[in-house]
Amino acid sequence: MMNGYRAYLPILPVAATYALLLGIGVVSPDHWQLIAQLAFYCALGQAFNLFMGMTGYVDFGYVAFLGIGTYGMAVSIYTLSDKGLGIGVVLIGLVLAAIFSLGLSLAVGAVALRLRGAYFAIATIGVNEGFRYLLEGARIWNGADGIIFSRHLRQGVGRQTAMALSTWWADILVFGVAFLAAVLTLVYMRNKVGYALLALREDEDAAKVMGINVTRYKIIAFITSAILAGLLGASAWALKLTYVYPSDVFAIHYTVEAIIIVLLGGAGTLLGPIFGALTYGAAKYFLAIVLPGFQLLIFAPVIIAIIVLFPDGTVGLLKKRLRDTPLGKFII
Amino acid sequence: MPLLKVRNVTKCFGGLVAVNNISLEIRHGETLALVGPNGAGKTTLFNLLNGVFPADEGQIIFEDVDVTHFPAYRRAHLGIGRTFQIPRPFNSATVRENIAIGGMFGAAGSEIDVDRAMAMADHYIEVMGLSPHRDKPAGGLTPIEKKLVEIARALAMKPRLLLMDEAMAGMNPKDIDKMVAFLKEIRETEGIAIVAMVEHIMRAVSGLAERVLVMHQGAKLVDEPTREALSDPRVIEVYLGKPPEADHAHG
Amino acid sequence: MIFEQLSGNLLQGVILGGVYGMATMGLSLIFGVLKVVNVGHGAFIMVGAYVALTLFQTFGVAPPLAVPAAMVIGMALGMVFYYSAIRKLLKGPELASLLATFSCGVILEEVCKQLFTSEARGYNWELGKLDLGFTVLPHAKLLAFGGSALIGILLYLWFHKTRAGMAMRCVVESDEGARVCGIDVDWEYALSFSIGIGLTVVSGVLLTMFIPVGINPYMGGSYTLKAFVIAVLGGLASPYGAFFGGLVFGLIENGSYTLFAQIPGLEPFAMTRFFSFAMLLVILLLRPTGLLKAK
Ligand SMILES: Nc1ncnc2c1ncn2[C@@H]1O[C@H](COP(=O)(O)OP(=O)(O)O)[C@@H](O)[C@H]1O
Ligand SMILES: [Mg+2]
Repeated sequence: MMNGYRAYLPILPVAATYALLLGIGVVSPDHWQLIAQLAFYCALGQAFNLFMGMTGYVDFGYVAFLGIGTYGMAVSIYTLSDKGLGIGVVLIGLVLAAIFSLGLSLAVGAVALRLRGAYFAIATIGVNEGFRYLLEGARIWNGADGIIFSRHLRQGVGRQTAMALSTWWADILVFGVAFLAAVLTLVYMRNKVGYALLALREDEDAAKVMGINVTRYKIIAFITSAILAGLLGASAWALKLTYVYPSDVFAIHYTVEAIIIVLLGGAGTLLGPIFGALTYGAAKYFLAIVLPGFQLLIFAPVIIAIIVLFPDGTVGLLKKRLRDTPLGKFII
Repeated sequence: MPLLKVRNVTKCFGGLVAVNNISLEIRHGETLALVGPNGAGKTTLFNLLNGVFPADEGQIIFEDVDVTHFPAYRRAHLGIGRTFQIPRPFNSATVRENIAIGGMFGAAGSEIDVDRAMAMADHYIEVMGLSPHRDKPAGGLTPIEKKLVEIARALAMKPRLLLMDEAMAGMNPKDIDKMVAFLKEIRETEGIAIVAMVEHIMRAVSGLAERVLVMHQGAKLVDEPTREALSDPRVIEVYLGKPPEADHAHG
Repeated sequence: MIFEQLSGNLLQGVILGGVYGMATMGLSLIFGVLKVVNVGHGAFIMVGAYVALTLFQTFGVAPPLAVPAAMVIGMALGMVFYYSAIRKLLKGPELASLLATFSCGVILEEVCKQLFTSEARGYNWELGKLDLGFTVLPHAKLLAFGGSALIGILLYLWFHKTRAGMAMRCVVESDEGARVCGIDVDWEYALSFSIGIGLTVVSGVLLTMFIPVGINPYMGGSYTLKAFVIAVLGGLASPYGAFFGGLVFGLIENGSYTLFAQIPGLEPFAMTRFFSFAMLLVILLLRPTGLLKAK
């Protein structure tokens, strides 16, 4: 661990932001939905950044991991609710979500992570569609009809608990995933994993020559990012909505949103995804009132503008500016 | 037992035989100067030795381990370090981080954590005179500084064999003398065998290398002690393209 | 009986595959010259589909006559995107151009959603059928295939018989080499991006002659995926490889549909789409640089 605890100071602004968001939500329940949405974007951005930001590879099929995590929770509640496990079905659901997303990330990673650059993008872009049509085509987990499990959840944990789970605890879990993702990002940054990823992001061949097993570190980042996405799907989608349809949870526009969030804030930084998520979430919220249906039309050109004009993103720029100031210790 | 044993390696790019049936041995702590005109295949030979790409034919044995089919990173773990002809530091990382990465993942990497690697980096920053640049991103340095960062990064890997591609290209005579002195010193202190591709044959080779290997059109033309090589008409013809009498001026 | 069905299917597959191949040439051309993967490829096909639809429904223009309009619109779009975004990213990390082309696709989808709503549309252009006994081929499909083949041939002639085409081939081989021969490489980049997009939009028109329904702003995604399979089959950088890759893919897609339809409990349509993705992974696993390309 570098410089002991001081290396981990940047987690403070993260924790403060999440505590503030939570606080606002608790004090002002009218805004809880907005807060929950912002927390979702924070978690999505942090989790996505862990792979895209740290490796420089973009996974266009990322939403598939959220989708399959959603199914993990759904399958657990749907099939185990009459086994008298009580709240255990939710825990098992989270474990299943993690296992499913792990499995899918291993399968995809085994092919895609052997490939470089453009070929990696080509390999991932169809993952969400491919998986959606596998479920629909082979009628796995009810195929296109999806799984509706609100009744099962009530049956398994009781009406009151079920209610609390989807209106409150699901969102709290989302905060948990967001924070976990941030902590993991920082831990990786401060350990060998982070340096290996930094090296391979800059120059993969030179990294190999330095003794870095690049495939191994890419897989670590890929899997971590995928499992976080699975947990996010299980809480923000499955537990909150208590139904799942393949056409919803494999929709590519969530990947688009993840890309926007990470780029707005700054790929490969710790605070960037939070900044990006809050900016994007707030903008989307107000656009939905002022110009409904225009969010992506507005944000897609924003992506291009960012890549062309300031590829470091907001926090990336800030980080450079503040490197030698006392604040610099907190901004990474 | 030699440190490195190369048997009949060959590498083709399409119809071009870039490295043609080369065999060589390097002893522990020895310095070999690899010379030859542009396009002779020196960089390609380096790439074969440290596993940037596999050889089409032949065998490479490093410290009794057959590394012919090892990927680059495993060869690095065994102790083969490398600098590039055109320096390739990790641009957005600081000088310190660059060098630390070498320490973390190189031959001693498995026992070195981030803190120790940083301490090692500080040592090599000192040694290479890079202190003013310690916390600057490597991308912003001058080419010569980048070269020094690369050498420091390679040394932090604690290699047993250091391959230096165009080790002194672009340096003035004073810097070359300094570099030669430095390489001699680390050869002693760290016990590293060095294969350096050097351009300024007289100045660098005679002061540093015990042996000279001359490549020409992918093949090994000469492999002999420096003293003989410097007066070998074949070397002078291929390498300098000048008649032999020019040699005496330097001798 | 089974033989008739099979040969019918194979024929349909080849004809569809020809159009698929044409729909991938633009992707390969752009990759070959600029080394940029157009991740928004399918969105440009979608634009072509709307060009055909709008010209037919609003102005009564027969779809084949929409081809020149589509080429012009596509080339214009290509120029706009090239000069506003792609050009500045060619030197940067690969990530940048991938994200940029992806965003271009999203922009087109969202614009079309605003213009045409996200409702799926179609048109009905009756042109008669050719009855071969073992299978029936609508003339529109034959025309689409013929058009695709013709465009492929024209592209070939342009590449091999004109100065501009030869210059572009030089750039594919080596942009350094082309530069020292006095070729304006930057202009070649712009031109090939624009031609690549033009060809892709045109292929959208031809595809509607094959499948004149289901036109919607988000139809491109599955074509992107198919184009990637085809491009990887034929070698990513070769437009002709793409054409033959298309033929092979058409055959496989049609064959797999027939096969999946025989298996009870499967949805053949969805399975076929899954299958193209699975195929992509398998090809990438075996030989990322192209299965059909000679070693
Ligand atoms: N990756 C490659 N692909 C194709 N040809 C190459 C490659 N690398 C080197 N060559 C060719 O191999 C020959 C030897 O090159 P190189 O090893 O770089 O020579 P040197 O380092 O001695 O100048 C040259 O003709 C060069 O063009
Ligand atoms: Mg060289």
